[in-house]
Amino acid sequence: MAQAVINGLLIGGVYALVSIGVTLIFGVVKIVNFAQGEFVMIGMYISFFLFTRFGMDPLVSLLVSMPVLFVIGILVQHFLIRRVLGLNDLPQIFLTFALSLLILNLALMLFTANYRTVHTSYSDEVLHWGGLIVPVAKLIAFVVAMLLSGGLWAFLHATDLGKAMRAASQNRDVAQLMGINPDRVFAVALGIALALAGAAGSLLMPFYPAYPLVGQVFVLMAFVAVVLGTLGNVIGALVASLLMGVAESLGIQFIGADSGLIVVFLLLLTTLALRPSGLAGGRRR
Amino acid sequence: MRLRGWGGIALGIGIAAMAALPLVVRNAFAVDIFIRILLFAFIGTAWNLLGGYAKQLSLGHAAFFGLGAYTSTLLQLDFGISPWIGMAAGGVVGMLASLPIGWLCFRLRGPYFAIATIATAQVLMLIFLKFRDFAWGAEGTTIPNLGNAPLMMQFEGKTPYYYIVLCLLALALAITASVERSRIGYYLVAIGEDEDAAEAIGIDVARVKRNIYMISSFLTALAGTFYTQYIYFIDPQTAFNFSVSIEAALVSIVGGIGTLWGPLIGTMLLETTSALLQSWLGNSIGGVQLTVYSLILMSVILWKPTGIMGYVSELTQRRRSRAKGS
Repeated sequence: MAQAVINGLLIGGVYALVSIGVTLIFGVVKIVNFAQGEFVMIGMYISFFLFTRFGMDPLVSLLVSMPVLFVIGILVQHFLIRRVLGLNDLPQIFLTFALSLLILNLALMLFTANYRTVHTSYSDEVLHWGGLIVPVAKLIAFVVAMLLSGGLWAFLHATDLGKAMRAASQNRDVAQLMGINPDRVFAVALGIALALAGAAGSLLMPFYPAYPLVGQVFVLMAFVAVVLGTLGNVIGALVASLLMGVAESLGIQFIGADSGLIVVFLLLLTTLALRPSGLAGGRRR
Repeated sequence: MRLRGWGGIALGIGIAAMAALPLVVRNAFAVDIFIRILLFAFIGTAWNLLGGYAKQLSLGHAAFFGLGAYTSTLLQLDFGISPWIGMAAGGVVGMLASLPIGWLCFRLRGPYFAIATIATAQVLMLIFLKFRDFAWGAEGTTIPNLGNAPLMMQFEGKTPYYYIVLCLLALALAITASVERSRIGYYLVAIGEDEDAAEAIGIDVARVKRNIYMISSFLTALAGTFYTQYIYFIDPQTAFNFSVSIEAALVSIVGGIGTLWGPLIGTMLLETTSALLQSWLGNSIGGVQLTVYSLILMSVILWKPTGIMGYVSELTQRRRSRAKGS
C-alpha cells in the first residue's frame, strides 16, 4: 500500500509537468491543447536518439529537449493557434486535435510503432528506505519535475513577464490596456508549456518506453488533473496530478495491471457527476 | 429546405446513380470502398445531428458504435437472434446509453465535453477488454459464416451490404432533413450558436440536447451492428475504436458541419483520398492515412471552417448576386 503510494507520487510528478503545461495554456491562451501529449513524445524521442547516437544521458538531453520544444511552442502559437483565437469552439478544439493526430502519425511513419527504451546506469537502481523500494530513475524524475514546477511558480510570481502572464490569464482585455502585448505573452506561455512537456519526455526516458502513442496516456491524465484541479490553476494541477498518480497506482495494485486508466477515467466521470459546477462550469466570455 | 427545379432533379439523378452503382461496378475492391464511404457518411450524418447542428463536439461516438456491435453479436451468438432484430436492439441500447453519458458529459462545455465523451468511450472499451467471460475479452470473436443467409444478415458477395448501408444512410439523411425543417432544427442551431442565449429565450436546452443525442446514438449503434456483420469479427479494439469517433467528426467538419450533405461529401473526399493512398503506397506504412486526414482537417479549419459545403454555398451566392447585378 505505502509502496503503491510512493510509486504513484513519483510518476505523478511527471504527470504534473504535463498538466501544468495544459493548464498554463488554458489559463493564458484559453485553448485546450490536445497535442500536449505528443510533445512529451517528441521529448522522449529527442532523448532516445541523443542517447543512442551520442550516448547522452537523458538528464543531460533535457537541456536539449526543453529549448527545442520551447521554440516549437512559439512556432505553434505563431503559425497555428494565433489564427483561431477569438473564433468559436470548433476550430479551437479541432486545430490542436488535428495537430496531435498529425504529429502522432508522422511519428508512426518515421519511427514505426516499436517501443524504444534507454538503459542508463541508474535505470535499475533502487533505494531501500524503511522497507520501501524507491527506484532512482523515478526519484530523479520526480525531484527535477518538482524543481521545474517550483521554478515556473517563481517565474509567474517574481518576474515581470510572469506577472504579465498571470494578468493576461485573469483578464485579457484589462491586461492589454495595461500595455501587455498578448502575442508575446501567449508565445512565451506556449513555449514554456511545451518545454515542460519536453522535460517530462526526457525525464521519463530512463524508465518508460517511447512509442508514437505514448503521449495519449499522459494527455488524458493531464486533462483529468486539470479538470480536477480547477482549470487554469497551476498549483491545483500539480496537486491533482500527484493524486492521480497515486490513484492510478492504487488501481493497478488492487484491480489489475491494465486498470490504471479505468480508475483515472472513472475518477473523471465521478468528479463530473458530483461537482460539475466547480469544474468547467464557469464559462469564458 | 424544399427541393425545387434543379435541386430536385440532381437529387433524383444522385439517388438513381447510387442505386445503380453496384450493377455497373463489379470490382469487389471498389464496392468495398463504396461501402466504407456510405458507412462513414452514415456515422458522420448521425454525428452531425448532435455535433453539427447543436455544436456539441463529441469525440466519443465509438461508444455507441461499439454498443450496437456488441448487442447484436451477443444476441446472435448467445441466443441465436437474427442481427436484424439485434440491430434494432443495439440501436435501443445505444439510445439508452446516451442518457447517462449525456447526463454526465453535458455538464461540460466545449473542449471538456469532447474530453468527457472520449473518456466514456474509453471506459466502455476497457470494460469489454477486462471482463472476459462476459464478451470474449480482448481476443474478441468471429461471427460464424452461414453462407448466404439473408435472414441472419449474411450474404455472398458485397452488393447486398452496399444496399443495406445505402438504406441506413438514406434513413439518416431523411431524419436530418426533417429535423432541419422542424422547430427542433432551429432550437439546435440556436443552441449551437449560444447555449445561454438559447436558454434565455425559453428553449429547454437540456431536453433538446438529450433528445438529439438519443437519435444520434441510436443511428451510430446501427452502424456498429452493420460493420460487425460486414467484417464477421468483433473485439473491443475495433468496436470501440477511437478512430470511429474521430472519423465521424472529421467527415462532417471537412464536408461542412451542420449541413445535410456535408458528412457525405466529406466522406467521399476523405475515403477516396485514403483509397488512392492505399493503392499507391500499399498498407505497409502505418499512419499515412491519418497523417493526410489531419493535414486536410487542419487546412479546412485554418482556411474554410465551414467546410466544402460552406465553400459551395458561397460560390452559388456569389454567382446569384452577379446574375442579379448584370
